[in-house]
Amino acid sequence: MNANLGNILRSVSAIKSKNSWVFSGLIIFTFLSIIMSITFGPANITGDDILQCVMYECMSPIHDMVIWQIRIPRVLVGLVAGMGLACAGAILQNVTRNPLADPYLFGIISGAGLGATIATFAFNDQQSLALPLAAFLGALFSVVIVFGIATLLRNMNHLLLTGVAVSFMLGSISHFILYLGDPFATNRVIFWLMGSLARVEMFHFYLIGAIVLITLLTIFALHRQIDALLLGDESAASLGVNIDKLRLILLALCAAVTATIVAYCGGIGFVGLMIPHIVRQLVGVTTMPLIIGSALVGGCFLVWVDVAARSAFSNVEIPIGIITSAIGSIFFLAIMYRTRKTG
Amino acid sequence: MKLTHVFNLAIICILALASVEAYSSNNAVKANIETTKPKIIALAPHIVEMLFDIGAGEQIIATTEYADYPLAAQKIPRIGSSMRIQLERVIELQPDVIIAWESGSPSDDLARLKQLGFKIVYSQPDSFAEVAQELRLFGKLSGHSEQAERVANKFLIDLAEIKKQYGQKKPLTGFYEVWSRPLTTIAQDSWPQQFLEICSIKNPFETAKTSYPQVNIEQVLQHSIDIIIQPLSKKQQGGDEYNWKQWSILPAVKHQQYIILDADIVHRMTTRSLVALNDLCQQAEKSRAYYHQNSSTH
Repeated sequence: MNANLGNILRSVSAIKSKNSWVFSGLIIFTFLSIIMSITFGPANITGDDILQCVMYECMSPIHDMVIWQIRIPRVLVGLVAGMGLACAGAILQNVTRNPLADPYLFGIISGAGLGATIATFAFNDQQSLALPLAAFLGALFSVVIVFGIATLLRNMNHLLLTGVAVSFMLGSISHFILYLGDPFATNRVIFWLMGSLARVEMFHFYLIGAIVLITLLTIFALHRQIDALLLGDESAASLGVNIDKLRLILLALCAAVTATIVAYCGGIGFVGLMIPHIVRQLVGVTTMPLIIGSALVGGCFLVWVDVAARSAFSNVEIPIGIITSAIGSIFFLAIMYRTRKTG
Repeated sequence: MKLTHVFNLAIICILALASVEAYSSNNAVKANIETTKPKIIALAPHIVEMLFDIGAGEQIIATTEYADYPLAAQKIPRIGSSMRIQLERVIELQPDVIIAWESGSPSDDLARLKQLGFKIVYSQPDSFAEVAQELRLFGKLSGHSEQAERVANKFLIDLAEIKKQYGQKKPLTGFYEVWSRPLTTIAQDSWPQQFLEICSIKNPFETAKTSYPQVNIEQVLQHSIDIIIQPLSKKQQGGDEYNWKQWSILPAVKHQQYIILDADIVHRMTTRSLVALNDLCQQAEKSRAYYHQNSSTH
């Protein structure tokens, strides 16, 4: 008995020691990613120019504008958006105990798309303000419908299926409006849904960063209850966890984070589904290491994907959602293949 | 007496000096305007083409994809597409004015550029008359007002000539095939609709609810279509057009009355659109003559 306990304690301490190395590496990589990604972009600005700008004063007003108003906001928003999407995915997968759970399965992207479509036609002159606001409201609308129907069915396991159904419903409304409208507006909405960090400002970093921070703090406070959910609803209830209340809080947080990110960055697919699976391979399934790991890997992933989006071609920018889905799907299949081989 | 002469001489000298000074300063101002013509970023192919038309092509410092006419336009650096503009490149180039296509340029990028302090002017020519208006506007913006005025006037005169020549002809019923898959045509408020009106071609789908409605072949068969207009781009490979052969119930198919137009010209809102207009009207006139001859022989 004592020998068994000793073995378990030794394994736990080995995992903790391994995780501390992983986290140290990830934190260093995150800082390096932030610094290095600022040096990439279509404008001809050298590393020395950037150093001069950040440490002292910019050599020219052009450098000042490019670095402080374009690149640094992009890198920072990429970081917090990646963190938010990856964390939302990790929470959803743990809370629903469904490995396919993804923030977009609530119909958030279809809701945001419907909002963006309506804004494109109804507020042609105030696009920059109306579009993100309408997209946010559309995303929230879809979440409320999904939660409402799932509650009505008195079965939270049907949440994802309800999300798929609502997603198709809202998508069809958007497509009908787009069909009736101006073809240029249709293009605009479709391109918007492909996702981009080109339009972000520092304000978006503060807003998305604040919501992601609130989400992380809430998860840190509730991580033991979330871990209990991994054992199954009955086991969690027997440990004194109010399952319905916990689920509602966590799902509402995921919805708020995702809706805010979609409103300002468009549709960035696959991050919420893929990153938690990668991180589980590195640090295990328990909530605290999974969430911290997902935040760091998700943030770095989106920062580098955005670097590729703005630097891969000299004269055009690639929508970020295309790259995340392309890289994500290949990487994801590779991981599944590796897991199958080793498993 | 001498004193008066000296006084007059002094005044003449002062006036001469003043006029020389005024002349040289006037020249300096003119030279200044000449040398400091505004640098322009043109964010759509039709804007580039119109700027070249009025002699301001050399002032374009950047543009977007598909600005391929005239040949010199192909050498202009690209800074994006109708989907996204590379903001960093715009900042680096420091244009004096950005001319954007209101419905075709990315509005969020333009809002950001405006916020960063760049001057943005919008272009949205929805009719031939508006093409002329915009030529004049671009003339003012680029410092080529005189040439722009000349080009705009010639454009309007040529347009009036075509209207006069074909506007009162016997109407033909035509189907304008924008795309074949799905079969899409035009209606009121679309750019090509004015071509049909000027060439006296009746569009059976003119009152459809959208500008570019998708239609079912059953709907097309309800009308006696005299001509089928197929604008094709040079980049489109053969076979992109709808296969009408099996619908010989339509007079246009039965009598092989197809009109092929250059889509790159007809769908671009520039002075060249009159070439396409003239081409369409001439081909429609040939069809009219064909039907007239056919009916008189029966």
